[in-house]
Amino acid sequence: MSSVSAAGSAGLAESPRGGSGGGTTPSPARRGRSTGAGPLPYVLVAPVIVFIAGLAFVPAVFTIVQSFFTVNALDPPTRFSGLRNFRALAESDAIRSSLANTALYVVVGVVLSTVLGIVMAILLQRPFRGRSLVIAVLILPWALPGVVEGILWSGIFDPNAGLVSAVMNDVGLGGGHLLLGENRVLTIVLIELVQVWQITPLSVLLVLAALQLIPDELYEAAQIDGCSRWGAIRQITLPLARPGIAVCMVQALVATLNVFDQPYVLNGAAATGATVTMQTYFVSFQNLDFGQGYALSLFITVLTLVGSLVIVKAVYRKVEL
Amino acid sequence: MSAAVTTRSGTTAAPATVPARRRHRTDRMGAGRVVGLVLAVLWSIVPIYWAVKTSLQTEADARSADTQYVPLHPTLHNYARLLTDDSDVPGQIRRSALNIVVECGLATIVTVVLATLAAYAFARFRFRGRNVFFYAVLATMAFPPYTTLIPLYRIMSLFGLVNTYAGIVLVYVSGFLPLATWVLHNYFASIPQGIEEAGLIDGAGRLQVLRHLLLPLAVPGIISTALITFLFAWGQFLFPLVLSSDLSTQPLTVVIAALQGRHVVPSTLLNAAGVLAIVVPAALALVFNRYIVNGLLAGSAK
Repeated sequence: MSSVSAAGSAGLAESPRGGSGGGTTPSPARRGRSTGAGPLPYVLVAPVIVFIAGLAFVPAVFTIVQSFFTVNALDPPTRFSGLRNFRALAESDAIRSSLANTALYVVVGVVLSTVLGIVMAILLQRPFRGRSLVIAVLILPWALPGVVEGILWSGIFDPNAGLVSAVMNDVGLGGGHLLLGENRVLTIVLIELVQVWQITPLSVLLVLAALQLIPDELYEAAQIDGCSRWGAIRQITLPLARPGIAVCMVQALVATLNVFDQPYVLNGAAATGATVTMQTYFVSFQNLDFGQGYALSLFITVLTLVGSLVIVKAVYRKVEL
Repeated sequence: MSAAVTTRSGTTAAPATVPARRRHRTDRMGAGRVVGLVLAVLWSIVPIYWAVKTSLQTEADARSADTQYVPLHPTLHNYARLLTDDSDVPGQIRRSALNIVVECGLATIVTVVLATLAAYAFARFRFRGRNVFFYAVLATMAFPPYTTLIPLYRIMSLFGLVNTYAGIVLVYVSGFLPLATWVLHNYFASIPQGIEEAGLIDGAGRLQVLRHLLLPLAVPGIISTALITFLFAWGQFLFPLVLSSDLSTQPLTVVIAALQGRHVVPSTLLNAAGVLAIVVPAALALVFNRYIVNGLLAGSAK
């Protein structure tokens, strides 16, 4: 995947891989006197390599291998059991229900955060006085812990004194029935709204970075050709923002497919909102069936990677400006 | 060029009046944009405002069916309780606030130091295995966040590191190193090579060059990396939930979630704790937003 860079900012966003599609050695900067450097580079990278090997690759291999084993504190010893974990998961009602829930979280979350991200990025596309202050405020939800956002929004959704029911009462709609945990679809949509609140700022930044690369001349030419404002958005802005939109959708997919904090805080273990990641936690750390937990983790991982690839294939287009 | 967006304004103007027409159009188009921007800002701050408002109310006012949009009898009582009260809940919040500061601080320092050294090597040396190592580090960014949750828990419990600061910090560092290395690598790669060559010709060693020439130039990149690492660490919940079982290491996020489940805790106190948990990240995001934006955009190119 190519890189997104922020135009006009402090220059940090310049990536050496810019648009090359990865895979090649990234580095125009590396020529000259660096070949015979001796052991120093190895010493410098060693700590990072040790960390990544020991606490990322080894655990990942664990997850893959042990998902085919029975690893259960209540049913020792650890032994090979083929596809048993996967079969048990496929037969579990709780898991199947959590999969359906998660699918809904993903659809609502990816669509909403992408649409809002694009709209807000277009609002911010042209400079105006105070734009950086607005961006600073819009980033705020991204910077806050998901758990605490659950607390903040439980005050908004509270059926007695929450903001939503108060406003609904005051405009005469008679609120007070916005109870989380009753209706499954409503519960999931409301909880996902909280996650959308958290992940949209990054979507805005990613799309905005792509928009900053579009030259003003294109819009001027379009105007001369009699193109309407909406037409310019459809024919210039959106196509040229595709790299940014693809990255923003991938980050939304990863976040929503793995959502845990917001439903856990707002709805607890209730089946109306439980997600696959929550089930992984329950299966592993409450039932102590680590084998099934591994299998479920592996499943989510594969789903996340496949979903990301699908989005990149469908949305990403290389843009030459 | 905001004037370039609308086409038909009704007034067909002669070339001589173009500047005036432009200003007119800018203003008109500004109206829709202003409304959109105001909505976006409200969307971002209203939930925060509501928690701050609730934290400044008495429990009776906050629960009243006659909802107050602004606190009519504002009180700092909840904050006073959090900071000074010796009872159960405030004590837990204070302890877990200390834990989260220690854990995030340590994780940030270790991550930034190790990532700086590695990023420098990846950006400035050619050595055997360099590409393999570099892409192996980057590849772990493609793992979804909880792929390694269970094995990390089991590794930490094998080494007796569950319920220790070390266990949590090690897991955070391993999780944030790839992004930090990538952002800093890009930063070093954007600094012209000539700067060090001058230093090397002067006879300074590689590490002196790093310390005295490159590091000062890389300060903005290091600040970005540190901020993003710190904010990521501050937001963690599931990892510390699994890796810490009591107040000796539980961060504020874990304790707040546990209190939310217990309905005996007054909502105003809970909101005050929530405000306490967002003051630090919100202040960082507002003050250093430029660094954060740059770092995020540099890091999202994975």
